[in-house]
Amino acid sequence: MKQRMKIKEGLSYKVVVRDRYGKVLKRIAAPSQSYTRAWNQCLYVLNRHSSFTIIDTGGAGRSISYSSSVLRANAGAGEIGYGIRVGKGMMPVTINDYALENPCGEGTGVDQFLHQATSASSPAVVGSECSFWVRRVMVNNSGSTISGIREIGCYVMMKYSPAYYGLGYRDVLPAEVSVPDGGSITVTYTLKVTI
Amino acid sequence: MRRGSLMKRPELWYSVVVRDRDGKVISRERRRAHSFLKQWNEFVWFFHFGGNIYPKITNGSPTKLDSHDNNFLMTGGEGDASLGIVIGTNDTPVAIDNYAMGAQIPEGYGAGQMHHLANTFGAPVVSPPNCGYSISRIIVNNSGGLITVRESGIYHQHSYRYGPVAYQFYFYSSCGVRDVFLTPQDVPDGGSITVNYTLQVTE
Repeated sequence: MKQRMKIKEGLSYKVVVRDRYGKVLKRIAAPSQSYTRAWNQCLYVLNRHSSFTIIDTGGAGRSISYSSSVLRANAGAGEIGYGIRVGKGMMPVTINDYALENPCGEGTGVDQFLHQATSASSPAVVGSECSFWVRRVMVNNSGSTISGIREIGCYVMMKYSPAYYGLGYRDVLPAEVSVPDGGSITVTYTLKVTI
Repeated sequence: MRRGSLMKRPELWYSVVVRDRDGKVISRERRRAHSFLKQWNEFVWFFHFGGNIYPKITNGSPTKLDSHDNNFLMTGGEGDASLGIVIGTNDTPVAIDNYAMGAQIPEGYGAGQMHHLANTFGAPVVSPPNCGYSISRIIVNNSGGLITVRESGIYHQHSYRYGPVAYQFYFYSSCGVRDVFLTPQDVPDGGSITVNYTLQVTE
């Protein structure tokens, strides 16, 4: 029997764009649409204590074994192999996505951001919910506005050495955002479970 | 057109099948679980970001979670009721801070006990728009009497490092999932209950 019940376990995101003075230019908040298959496959590897072939962010199948590195997203400054990313792709999310469609790189060149360290809150219980957030600030020092930002997501580590990364979740924003030179874009994902 | 406005989230489903001693199915229940507990998100946080955290183990003690490859392991073998799918007799509604079954049915063949077979897994299957994997367990009642099962859940491994030896680990169990059945399931002597959980994400 097919049952229709309100689903409450969830992922949501917030995007905030600021100018060089810190003034907020744009805010977007929405429920995420976006756990991808690599997320679940990584959980399986951890729960089952086995190896499983998972497609990495380069599109190659990698044999991933259980380890304490699986699902890690605490990337440091300048590290874009994992952690939260933004990009210019606008293709709808599918379960088979393995990377952002057109991710912005690290640096001060055209369409590049300076990726700050990913941060996170500790899990907190409020009422019948337990949640935490993961956040990253990306600064535009490219010398010009970076326009057409349309996708966000989070890459996760799957193996430490050699390093393989997978796409944990991805979202396409309802409209493109532009980040002025000297400004920043902050992406915050909240992971929540609810009774 | 793809319905992009729908909220896409991880879903947990469970199914329960009760059989008599001849293998005849005498009861079924299947529904979406509402049962990820605080410990589940604490473990996801620990893997996702890392840091100091003290999830409760199944005796209720907050216990530091240390990095170890065995964390989140659910592969309890035959006779091991400390990891994987577990069941109980309590029907207190689920709360986010539950840390164990309300009244777990212990392993064994005595009164009120059941024999736990090994947990088995179904590998992740991608069937757009879904990707899911499953964990199942058959638990047999050879106690000599009827046992009414009212709750199920999943215990996973929790690693704690302590003492002067750098890699002296102690292994405990944390409860990541608990559900109370809509209908109490009577498992007759000689019968069994099969519990299956499916964790699914949807695009």
